[in-house]
Amino acid sequence: MVEPVTFVVWLIVLPLAWAVAAFVTGERIGAWLGVVGSAIQTFLVVWMVATWDVAVPVIHRVGGWGAPLGIDLAVDGLALAMLLLTQVVSLPLTIYARSYFSEDASKSRHFWPLAGFLIAGLNALFVSADVFNIYVTLEIVGLSAVSLVAIGGGRAQISAALRYLFATLIGSGAYLLGVALIYGAFGSVSLATLIPLVGSNPPQAFALAGLLMLFGLMLKTALFPFHYWLPPAHGGAAAPVSALLSALVVKASFYLTLRLWTELFASIADDIAWIPALLGAGAILWGSWRAIQAIRIKMLIAYSTVAQLGYLFLVFPLLPGQDAIRATVMQACAHGAAKAAMFAAAGVLIKATGQDTMAGLAGMTGRLPLTLFAFGLAGMTLMGLPPSSGFLAKWQLIEAGMARDLWIIPVVALAGGLLTAVYIFRILSFAFLLSPSSVKIATVPRVQEWTAFALAAGSVLLGLRGVELMALLPGQVP
Amino acid sequence: MKRAIVIAAALVFGGLLINAIVDLPSSPVDLRIAVADNMANSGVSHPVTAVLLNFRGYDTLLEIAVLLLALIGLMAAGPMLPPPPNQPADALLQKLARIATPPVIVVGGYLLWAGAFRPGGAFQAGAVLAAAMVLLHLSGLLSAWNAQLLPLARRVILVGGFVLFLCISVALLAAGSLLQYPPHQAGLLILLIESGLTLSLAAILAGLFLFLSRDNGGAP
Repeated sequence: MVEPVTFVVWLIVLPLAWAVAAFVTGERIGAWLGVVGSAIQTFLVVWMVATWDVAVPVIHRVGGWGAPLGIDLAVDGLALAMLLLTQVVSLPLTIYARSYFSEDASKSRHFWPLAGFLIAGLNALFVSADVFNIYVTLEIVGLSAVSLVAIGGGRAQISAALRYLFATLIGSGAYLLGVALIYGAFGSVSLATLIPLVGSNPPQAFALAGLLMLFGLMLKTALFPFHYWLPPAHGGAAAPVSALLSALVVKASFYLTLRLWTELFASIADDIAWIPALLGAGAILWGSWRAIQAIRIKMLIAYSTVAQLGYLFLVFPLLPGQDAIRATVMQACAHGAAKAAMFAAAGVLIKATGQDTMAGLAGMTGRLPLTLFAFGLAGMTLMGLPPSSGFLAKWQLIEAGMARDLWIIPVVALAGGLLTAVYIFRILSFAFLLSPSSVKIATVPRVQEWTAFALAAGSVLLGLRGVELMALLPGQVP
Repeated sequence: MKRAIVIAAALVFGGLLINAIVDLPSSPVDLRIAVADNMANSGVSHPVTAVLLNFRGYDTLLEIAVLLLALIGLMAAGPMLPPPPNQPADALLQKLARIATPPVIVVGGYLLWAGAFRPGGAFQAGAVLAAAMVLLHLSGLLSAWNAQLLPLARRVILVGGFVLFLCISVALLAAGSLLQYPPHQAGLLILLIESGLTLSLAAILAGLFLFLSRDNGGAP
């Protein structure tokens, strides 16, 4: 009898296996391996969610040693929700990418190994219960994401990738310095060992470590004003890569921020909780403003990511309330699915029109109705219209803010929703209102349109099944 | 002005860091004791190797993935042009490189073997072998690698060590958890993993040089 906890190990091993297999066998077989592997992973994680009693966190002791000597993997509801998001978003994206890269062997050859390592790194990150092991997983995620941006090696892409590389290395470096200080102060890197040791009056090195690690993670999450690297990287990469990066990679460092904030650094976090919230509010306003001004479609979507990440940080003054965690996880899932759909749809539009400008969208509704529909549905989630998951996320956020009389949070959330509506309708107005140009439209395989649509529809329908997702989180549904 | 702010910020941060380290309390957990207590079951007699390949072998597995990723990332972003043809270097240089290579290989093998009981192991051995490959390349005896056209055998060598490590880790899952060595076979399995890693690490480290090399053998 296989214990469900070993499923977690398979979620790390499988993508590693298909990544190296794709490296050896080349792009044709590699693409199939990627799709089949992602399908198996999705099946495993759905099975886990369906059968697991999440009230009891499960621990897998790698090597059989157990912390603090060995490394533990721990799965709780929060980790499970992120695992679910990662597999459910990456499966349609692998199908999309197989078709997207089919004409370009030199790009496809490197995409599959890198995507496999990226997904393995994400899954390993979500379940790691050891701050040094988390650093290693951060390196896997960071390096594979940077390399994915650089695929194909255009001049602009390489410069975006380099900028991203420096940002992610500074982030990891700060995090690692924090880990070293923690190890120096307590002699352990296992979260389960550290948390009871911290106590009410931790040494100064611990506070410094906390600031360094949280700074590093916020830089990696591209929280305003550390977002400078995100728009060129996410806006300049190939469409499937942008989708993976915006939907999942930035969520990984956010997940760690949330986890460390509420568990390890709870004693120092309370006093400074207004800082991430303030930066989050700044991100919503600045990101939306830049999205409204954008000329290129993918830049608009990338700045929208900057803005939407702001929502994730708005809840920090409300932590460690379970309602706040539920709101931010719902936002992470809603944005993950919707943004993956949006970049996928943008990829179709850009392939069809041959240009990445808003003006190129003129009259596209009649020619690519399904893709525009997908774009509109994803936009609905980002704006937070019912019944989408975005609505559910904002609703929970506003409710949690009002329950504590922090009125500024609902105000910022609603203002952000209006600004989002402005840039979404700006794209749609180009597509609907301008008369069709005479530009020839290239045919794009239907499978790309349908996968974008599936992701967008998923982001809306998640709103109807939100209770099941929220049931994963500790504290349960009220 | 900007420089002054940067310098001031660096000084303040440095001061904070020094202050924190000077004030460091004695740590409540001492892992050296735990390591010493479990050395008998680790399969090796050198504590660093025991930590890297056994107690925290999972970290090492993922670190190998990081090294592979660095190489694949380089190939993905790297030059699209084929490398220039190899030009033979000075005859004396070639002669010396030929003489130096066999002892370097022996040193690599020794470092791998020594890892079980003294400082050494796959990383050091791989680095020494990679240095030999770089030396051979610089003396014109080994041509640069083309990132766009990598033969199957080379790809297999690059990932072989990682695949072997991954397969052994998964096979041990049958014992209960990932990488759970049976104490009696631990030494043998670690030697097997390290041997595979030595070859792959040598290829990966040398690859980082050979994929980017635009050396033309000293010709202008």
